[in-house]
Amino acid sequence: MRATVLRKPRDAHADAVAVKASAAQTARAAVLRDLDGVVHILTCGSVDDGKSTLMGRLLWDAADLPEDTRANLVAQAGPGGQPDVSLLVDGLVAEREQGITIDIAWRYFDAQQRRYVIIDSPGHEQYTRNMASGASHADVAIMLVDARHGVKRQTRRHAAILDLVGIRRVILAVNKMDLVDWSEDRFRAIEADFKAVTARFGFIEAQALPVAAKSGDNVARRSVEMDWYGGPTLLDVLARVPSRGRAAGGAFRMPVQTVVRGETDFRGLAGTVTSGRVAVGTVVVDSASGRRATVKRIVTMDGDLDAAVSGQAIVLQLDHDIDVSRGAVLAGEENLPTMAHSLDARLVWLSNVAFDADHGVLLRTATDLVPLASITMRSRLNLETMAESTGTICEPNDIVLADLVPARPVALDRFVDNRDTGSFVLVDALTGDTLAGGVVSGLVGQALAAEAGQFVLTDAVLARGVCAGVAVGSPEFRRRADEVALILKAAGVVARLDGGGR
Amino acid sequence: MRPAQQSKSEGGTRMTRPLSHLDILEAESIHIFREAAAQFRKPVLLYSIGKDSTVLLHLARKAFYPQKPPFPLLHVDTTWKFRDMITFRDRAVAKLGLDLIVHTNAEGVARGVDPVRFAPSLYTDVMKTQALKQALDLHGFDGAFGGARRDEEASRAKERVFSFRAPGHRWDPRKQRPEMWRLLNGRLGTGETARVFPLSNWTERDVWRYILREKLEVVPLYLAAERPTVLRDGQLLVLDDDRMPLRDGERAVTRRVRFRTLGCWPLTAAIESSADTLEAAVAETMTSATSERQGRLIDHDQAGAMERKKQEGYF
Repeated sequence: MRATVLRKPRDAHADAVAVKASAAQTARAAVLRDLDGVVHILTCGSVDDGKSTLMGRLLWDAADLPEDTRANLVAQAGPGGQPDVSLLVDGLVAEREQGITIDIAWRYFDAQQRRYVIIDSPGHEQYTRNMASGASHADVAIMLVDARHGVKRQTRRHAAILDLVGIRRVILAVNKMDLVDWSEDRFRAIEADFKAVTARFGFIEAQALPVAAKSGDNVARRSVEMDWYGGPTLLDVLARVPSRGRAAGGAFRMPVQTVVRGETDFRGLAGTVTSGRVAVGTVVVDSASGRRATVKRIVTMDGDLDAAVSGQAIVLQLDHDIDVSRGAVLAGEENLPTMAHSLDARLVWLSNVAFDADHGVLLRTATDLVPLASITMRSRLNLETMAESTGTICEPNDIVLADLVPARPVALDRFVDNRDTGSFVLVDALTGDTLAGGVVSGLVGQALAAEAGQFVLTDAVLARGVCAGVAVGSPEFRRRADEVALILKAAGVVARLDGGGR
Repeated sequence: MRPAQQSKSEGGTRMTRPLSHLDILEAESIHIFREAAAQFRKPVLLYSIGKDSTVLLHLARKAFYPQKPPFPLLHVDTTWKFRDMITFRDRAVAKLGLDLIVHTNAEGVARGVDPVRFAPSLYTDVMKTQALKQALDLHGFDGAFGGARRDEEASRAKERVFSFRAPGHRWDPRKQRPEMWRLLNGRLGTGETARVFPLSNWTERDVWRYILREKLEVVPLYLAAERPTVLRDGQLLVLDDDRMPLRDGERAVTRRVRFRTLGCWPLTAAIESSADTLEAAVAETMTSATSERQGRLIDHDQAGAMERKKQEGYF
């Protein structure tokens, strides 16, 4: 289903009148019209792989850069020299001096009627956290390898991070093909390794491309050197990535950001629709109280809307007050978030300071902020082997599996079901620092209404009980889980198995 | 979220289109405004009258509609802004019924710090950077909305949406918080304040496109008109009053010019142009050959100038 913007007819009419334009204005309008969408691209790889050159090349060949930017680079190159396109994605002075990229940089360019946002992140192991935070904003990732070296352990680690933060599309740019004599055999071998690495993750698209960033082969223009390659260029692949604001799928969610008031008794709930669709007449439910109300108006400064979809920032006026404010998550009747008493999560440790169980930690969800009653670090994830090692130490750049218990129930979804209401950050209560980013992999709690009275068995619950010591997802794990559900059923408790281990 | 996004077909069924890139940027900015207003105790919108501030203010209004934005506007007045800017500022604020705080560094004025006799970097530090810090401290603002964009300059490209300042308003690149997904963490440590940049992901072109789309009024200086100018150091300056004496060999010449960016008049270069309608000016800008900070003289001091200014607390 396509995302839609519905408006009252009177506005459409007014606009139609306003749109009458002369031929000259029409020509200008072509330059000025809105682009068709936005795609965020994460680039990861190390400096040695030529990442800055690849991104610079994409900008140099495909984007309409200001002339002075081009002229500067040409001037710097000197007579007869090739412009160093990598300078286009250059950053802070400190980094320039160090010769490496240590932070995320954002670049914007327009090509083929779309906005592309390049999120450039460092690839080195000690910057896992920078990459994870950059990746959390991206729709597609470009992983870069040197054709001479092929897929490395680092590539595997990158894929794991991308998967963790929810990226669904990945591109492997096999760079420096000129240095392996444009060899098809070499490329096919790397491509096969890449497929083997990505197969275990939840990517819906994983494509390898042979490129040479320095000369621009297969970046924005087709390579003449690699006539054996019949696939798309990098720019072609990027052009096929769907923009944000297109997919209206999923259950309706709107975390309430703030309450706005107007004349007389107007009380509106302001928020961004993070998933699904809401329309005038929709019955919405506050997941914390289970109270429901009907949407009376969808208010914006440009006039009321009939409906709104994921990505839109709106104000909802309900037919009666159900006493909700910031922190509440509004949902449709048929599918509610869980009011979590505890949750299993995967954390990327972002802070420079290692985890300290004695520090006060707050859980910041979409719009709620709750103290944590406890955090239990269960295991550390080795990103190269995906093996878990038990341990309670958690240091910068670690990916850990943890059990969190909020001081009061908090509305959450599983990350795989709902990205915005299934992710959170941990905040140091004292300094305010962001300690970790996290995704919800399992929830223990009550889902009101639709799931009232149902007991939810998550992998975490099972792993602590009858499935302790059994690999999550193994046949034995599933057998025992089913057994627990049957026993509960026999005892009159409706149980639902929930978790990736099913 | 614009009327243009919808048309009605002959049969009366509602035809709809996906969100455009401006719809997506607008929604993201509104989201940021709401998060900051909900999380900071005493926010303020830094209003500098130019095109970015115009868009910023418009988005702030949208974010809280039908309520007025729940924070005042702050203008740091160096006393060297174009007269047209001040007129525009007062009219805009009165029309919208908003609260405006105007702050000038009185000490700087008393010491006669001006952009004519003092180096641009020193003048900017005293009359803009110090003045801003004074105003924020004076009123105890803990979150300040600004119109900075990541596409403006290389060091801005790494700026966060919520940018934290240590006590004394110092910006430390290593102390910035990672931002993930749509989550914004505005919890402050002792003595910390934050700058909030709702236009982070907008480009200069987006700002102009949006001004046209939303039919926003801008300061007339953005449009070409006959103005008294002087050519100094290769830059065209518009003589807004008689406070800047001409040097030997210089003479005032009436030229048809407009501005691409606005600031203190002796430090802001004009471009020759005949674009006297907003559409023409925007079309010219969008196809223009240079990046916008060309017109800002303070940025040419030295490489990494902006980054240094930021560390010192420049907006």
